[in-house]
Amino acid sequence: MIHSLFLINSSGDIFLEKHWKSVVSRSVCDYFFEAQERATEAENVPPVIPTPHHYLLSVYRHKIFFVAVIQTEVPPLFVIEFLHRVVDTFQDYFGVCSEPVIKDNVVVVYEVLEEMLDNGFPLATESNILKELIKPPTILRTVVNTITGSTNVGDQLPTGQLSVVPWRRTGVKYTNNEAYFDVIEEIDAIIDKSGSTITAEIQGVIDACVKLTGMPDLTLSFMNPRLLDDVSFHPCVRFKRWESERILSFIPPDGNFRLLSYHVSAQNLVAIPVYVKHNISFRDSSSLGRFEITVGPKQTMGKTIEGVTVLSQMPRGVLNMSLIPSQGTHTFDPVTKMLSWDVGKINPQKLPSLKGTMSLQAGASKPDENPTINLQFKIQQLAISGLKVNRLDMYGEKYKPFKGIKYMTKAGKFQVRT
Amino acid sequence: MPYLGSEDVVKELKKALCNPHVQADRLRYRNAIQRVIRHMTQGLDMSGVFMEIVKASATVDIVQKKLVYLYMCTYAPLKPDLALLAINTLCKDCSDPNPMVRGLALRSMCSLRMPGVQEYIQQPILNGLRDKASYVRRVAVLGCAKMYNLHGDSEVDGALVHELYSLLRDQDPIVVVNCLRSLEEILKHEGGVVINKPIAHHLLNRMSKLDQWGQAEVLTFLLRYQPRSEEELFDILNLLDSFLKSSSPGVVIGATKLFLILAKKFPHVQTDVLMRVKGPLLAACSSESRELCFVALCHVRQILHSLPGHFSSHYKKFFCSYWEPHYIKLQKVEVLCELVNDENVQQVLEELRGYCTDVSVDFAQAAIFAIVVVQTFRDLVWLCPQCTEAVCQALPGCEENIQDSEGKQALIWLLGVHGDRISNAPYVLEDFVENVKSETFPAVKMELLTALLRLFLSRPAECQDMLGRLLYYCIEEEKDMAVRDRGLFYYRLLLLGIDEVKRILCSPKSDPSLGLLEDQPERPVNSWASDFNTLAPVYGKARWATIFKHQGTEHCGPKLPHTASLATSGHLISEENKERVQELQDSEALMLVPSCQLTAEYFEKTWLSLEVAHQQVLPWQGEVHPDTLQMALQVVNIQTIAMSRVGAQPWKAYLGAQDGAGCLFLTELLLEPENSKLQISVKQSEKRTEILSSFISVLETVIGTIGDMKS
Repeated sequence: MIHSLFLINSSGDIFLEKHWKSVVSRSVCDYFFEAQERATEAENVPPVIPTPHHYLLSVYRHKIFFVAVIQTEVPPLFVIEFLHRVVDTFQDYFGVCSEPVIKDNVVVVYEVLEEMLDNGFPLATESNILKELIKPPTILRTVVNTITGSTNVGDQLPTGQLSVVPWRRTGVKYTNNEAYFDVIEEIDAIIDKSGSTITAEIQGVIDACVKLTGMPDLTLSFMNPRLLDDVSFHPCVRFKRWESERILSFIPPDGNFRLLSYHVSAQNLVAIPVYVKHNISFRDSSSLGRFEITVGPKQTMGKTIEGVTVLSQMPRGVLNMSLIPSQGTHTFDPVTKMLSWDVGKINPQKLPSLKGTMSLQAGASKPDENPTINLQFKIQQLAISGLKVNRLDMYGEKYKPFKGIKYMTKAGKFQVRT
Repeated sequence: MPYLGSEDVVKELKKALCNPHVQADRLRYRNAIQRVIRHMTQGLDMSGVFMEIVKASATVDIVQKKLVYLYMCTYAPLKPDLALLAINTLCKDCSDPNPMVRGLALRSMCSLRMPGVQEYIQQPILNGLRDKASYVRRVAVLGCAKMYNLHGDSEVDGALVHELYSLLRDQDPIVVVNCLRSLEEILKHEGGVVINKPIAHHLLNRMSKLDQWGQAEVLTFLLRYQPRSEEELFDILNLLDSFLKSSSPGVVIGATKLFLILAKKFPHVQTDVLMRVKGPLLAACSSESRELCFVALCHVRQILHSLPGHFSSHYKKFFCSYWEPHYIKLQKVEVLCELVNDENVQQVLEELRGYCTDVSVDFAQAAIFAIVVVQTFRDLVWLCPQCTEAVCQALPGCEENIQDSEGKQALIWLLGVHGDRISNAPYVLEDFVENVKSETFPAVKMELLTALLRLFLSRPAECQDMLGRLLYYCIEEEKDMAVRDRGLFYYRLLLLGIDEVKRILCSPKSDPSLGLLEDQPERPVNSWASDFNTLAPVYGKARWATIFKHQGTEHCGPKLPHTASLATSGHLISEENKERVQELQDSEALMLVPSCQLTAEYFEKTWLSLEVAHQQVLPWQGEVHPDTLQMALQVVNIQTIAMSRVGAQPWKAYLGAQDGAGCLFLTELLLEPENSKLQISVKQSEKRTEILSSFISVLETVIGTIGDMKS
């Protein structure tokens, strides 16, 4: 299925290659480089590139292209998902996934890839199982290994491989039994000039960190499960029970996992927690333009909006900007024409604003395009859709676990047109 | 660092590996091996230390073993004689008490890829298939496929195949999936693994125990199974239901495809399934992963071919967000074009209009994007006349961003056809006329000629002067024959008087027969169900492929702009043929190279050396007008090599064309007027039947059209 994998950095160097069947010559990447050159920006390299004898499927993450070489017709989503899993695994193993880190840990990388695929087919991809096969490098372990000469490889077979529940290993033991659930919602929205919403949707996930002894069987119920019309589950969730009772019933994997992800897209259900007031004008006659934006809260259910940043790509005609923020710091890069303003918290009594002038190219006609504003923010302890967990119960084990639920709302692709 | 001084590095490492002090110190020894591996991964040739590494394989240190095996799998094909020395250690490891060592050794041994290894691996694989550790069984099962690939042409071992089939009942889910994968490779000459009723139901029942990769693959294997009865079919569909809600988009799409294929006789079930995956698909379209997004969008477009209204209420989901990569924006614009209906046309156009002036530092990107938008405008005007007004308002201001020939053609076409409603149309066209000398694409010039002549009909005062200049240029100075012919054609047409021009040029401005997109002929789901969840929807029609192609092959093949220019220049190709040509380009990848210059001698030589690949007879009335035929063929990039003079009996013509892959198509047309038949014989330099048939249908279309024109 996956013949070979090449790791390529943004300047077009292959810094790692792995072949699961016969060796495919590096020259196959020339087609990729061609596409890379044409794309001008790394993000724009198309993810599927046909070549005379192969297909190159790639994902671009952490400034690295993970390019899979395929020889036969395959389901493209399968390969792309797998490549993402490879990246996730590296990130999980090394904390960050970057070219230097991969180069430093090249031996572990090879071992991991060897276990993840055999003959081009995915084998062990669950991170908790992989970590038992190949222990991740830690600073402490590196030191200990150097002293004692012990190894990075587990001597024991992962017990999970023999368990009847494929995602959970047997014989799990903890002194403190705890189960934490994070409800995280991201708002994707496009707001038009006048402030009305063009599109808005919430992408939510429930991430869990479960450290429970034995084989616990959990149920999680919601106050308002009707909100969740479009849900996808971790394989551990019993689908039929959800269909009939709207209750999540599952034997959890050990450690961190994504329990479910959901979408709320009915527009009346998506509250927009911030607004942006803007006044951006390029005057025809003079070479000065006016720029003013204010950010304020709206439908936040009394919670504070924090971590606000504003990013905007200014038109080519803007030479420079002289702006004064009422709070936070701002920068304008005259080369890339990128304005960024790190706002911080929004105080509803004193709304943050950024005001000033833009100097425009003299003589040029006024830009007919207006910049788009990209917004980032966070709201703690709030799931903007209103989703609430009702209760969490455990069966199958006798001890009393510690349970915790956290809520958080973030901006996803949140953009305001001006 | 790679490639430089590899000899020194090898020498130094060799020394280190041979040093008995290093060998005695486990850590230093392993470090030296690690350095070898590190260099190897960077592409340095490390085969020089093979002997030393083989020696290092006899160790109890499992990391060292792993490294050594990794090395051997890479270099064994280069040094088969030395690698045989290591086999002994590997065989011994295959019966190690630690299952991990057993698995590791077996996997490495099967991956050695060198001749002669088969006889050594056969027994360990057979033992591995019965190993009590599932880890070893997984390796052994895939090892069977590797062993078979090493044999190459040898016969399939019936006993082994039987054993693998029985392992489908293994309790370990990955062993089960590996058996399928392995059997598929071993039996590929017999059509792959056979999925009969017991196997199919066994797999269906095990589905929930598999990981997402296993599920996705089993779903693909199950496509081969034909349920015996309706009852069984619906039982299967019930079992599959929950996979439509999987968290993995790959599994969702895989399950959808299986539903579509199994229920091919039940259109309402198909529609129902597509309804139910709407949510997951839309979710994938706004996924965090750009690549998933892209593939999902491609599948959305595929579904739209059959259910045009399917996503219409969600059209806003396909509005481009500013920071999205280029290929996603292009897909979204195309989806939008297909989603338009009476209710949302205003909003969609307003949105598209904004894209034309998208702020972007990368000018090229903005330009390409604008081109696609303008092409979308053109298609919209063609398909739904109601939005003409809005498009006309959106057009001014676009021209600055458009650099590419296809975008220019689309813009010029719009200006020509609807110039009466766009106030600055003559001025924009005038710019093009001024710069016609530096225009490199003949297709743009032809489009310009047609558009200006059209605009002349509605706004004569503003256009007369520049039309004269353009015609003069095209007839007197232009070197491209097709452009010159087109110029001459229009010039002579004008001599016939304005009414004649109107009759020829004022073809319908849109295609009312297509009407709104809702009435568009829907392709049955079954026509694309087998392409679903393959690469076909991704690269088959993807616009980026045409945009990112080389300058040299800029306008190859019968693509949309060509057909549009044909359709606009009157009756050359009638509307239903436009459809046919479009269908053609969708279904296969025939790309004729425009600049194929065959000499008559070369043609003759090749013609005589080849067999006739295809022969057919078409009805034909009356005589042939060589100019018309030549021009029409030129448009689809078929070159006329030689032709009898008008009225000769029998009349003959020889045509040549070449596709992007270099395959030549040589054609003879033979007309015998007495029995009103035109005989076509085609010879092909490479035997590629599907391309041949598409070439023939292009030819048929052209000839059919010219025939229609005359009658």
